[in-house]
Amino acid sequence: MEVTLLLEATENAFRILERARAHAVGVLDTAVEFVAEETRYCDAKRCQVLFTGVQRRRTRFQNFLGTTFILFAFWMLLSGKFDAFHLTLGVICCAVVSYMFHDLLFANVRFGDMRIVAGRFIAYIPWLIQQILLANIHVVSLVVRRKMPIDPQVVTFKTKLETDISHVTLANSITLTPGTITMDIKDGVFYVHALSQKVAEDLNAGEMEDRVAHIFMEADHLYVQDVLDATRIYETLRL
Amino acid sequence: MIRESDDVIVKTLARLLVPFIVAYALYVVMHGHYSPGGGFQGGVILAAAFVLLGVSHGLEKTRRRMSEKVAGIISSIGVFIYGGIGLLCLILGGNYLHYGKLSKILGVDTAHARSLGILGVEIGVALAVMAVMCTIFFVLFTVGESPEDDGSVE
Repeated sequence: MEVTLLLEATENAFRILERARAHAVGVLDTAVEFVAEETRYCDAKRCQVLFTGVQRRRTRFQNFLGTTFILFAFWMLLSGKFDAFHLTLGVICCAVVSYMFHDLLFANVRFGDMRIVAGRFIAYIPWLIQQILLANIHVVSLVVRRKMPIDPQVVTFKTKLETDISHVTLANSITLTPGTITMDIKDGVFYVHALSQKVAEDLNAGEMEDRVAHIFMEADHLYVQDVLDATRIYETLRL
Repeated sequence: MIRESDDVIVKTLARLLVPFIVAYALYVVMHGHYSPGGGFQGGVILAAAFVLLGVSHGLEKTRRRMSEKVAGIISSIGVFIYGGIGLLCLILGGNYLHYGKLSKILGVDTAHARSLGILGVEIGVALAVMAVMCTIFFVLFTVGESPEDDGSVE
């Protein structure tokens, strides 16, 4: 009698433990979802930024200052005269231009991310040049051969990128690489003309897209990183 | 009526380029008395920035920055600056646009006064040219429509 009671009790305890674990896993699930939601260019944050006037004004001011700095660097590059009169003229002109066009340069980029984005973009350029050289060699090898084994085709793929600036970067990278030309972007679908099967396969492998997503910290890229982090937490929990 | 372009590449690159074009135009105007360029060229580049904005982002968004009314006012201001500086020289006892006489009110020597006078005249010319170019652009691309229309005419 007591043994069955004991067994029942232990079974109950196990069930409770199981439920607790399921609950913990559920909580972690929602936490991961929450983190992923937070890290993407989330609508909530955007709405918050839009609806709180102070933050909006701050964003505008930051955009204004950033635009002024960039334009003033451009001005100094052009002008080459560093006396007080011309520098004052430059500051006034750049401030006026930034006041008129403060919403254009940083339209879809959060200002805090700018430094990271710029650094990653500069790091992306050598890789792009290397890709261009490789593609050049490939296209030359196609053209020089007597049979000229080209296989022109149109590749369409749906991109995972979200912002317009990343779309443009990817499209221009594809066009810069010999053998491929971006013909159109419609609702996130790229229509790319590819010269040969190899080029098309390279395109479908999507390394360039991953790298562009990495530059602009797009949602899917971060999401993958989050899942990798979360699996580590899961494993430690399971042990 | 030009609608907003649906090509994301054109739109984004226009958005990124317009501030630089305007800054370059102002550079051309401000350095007109040292290097090639000047009021007319700078004004045309300024207007080109607005035309680019109009072609890529549609006339509605461009009107928020530069409407026909504002363009008319700015062109008048440009002509006023040009004529004002000329008349100021007349009042100070010189010929029309005789910048050397401006040294009396600017408090600098004659050579420097000429330089500043030319700069002021160039700013006036640039404003007038920019505004008139924008007006021509607006008139050409809204022909046969009043601004109250929704732009439903193809």
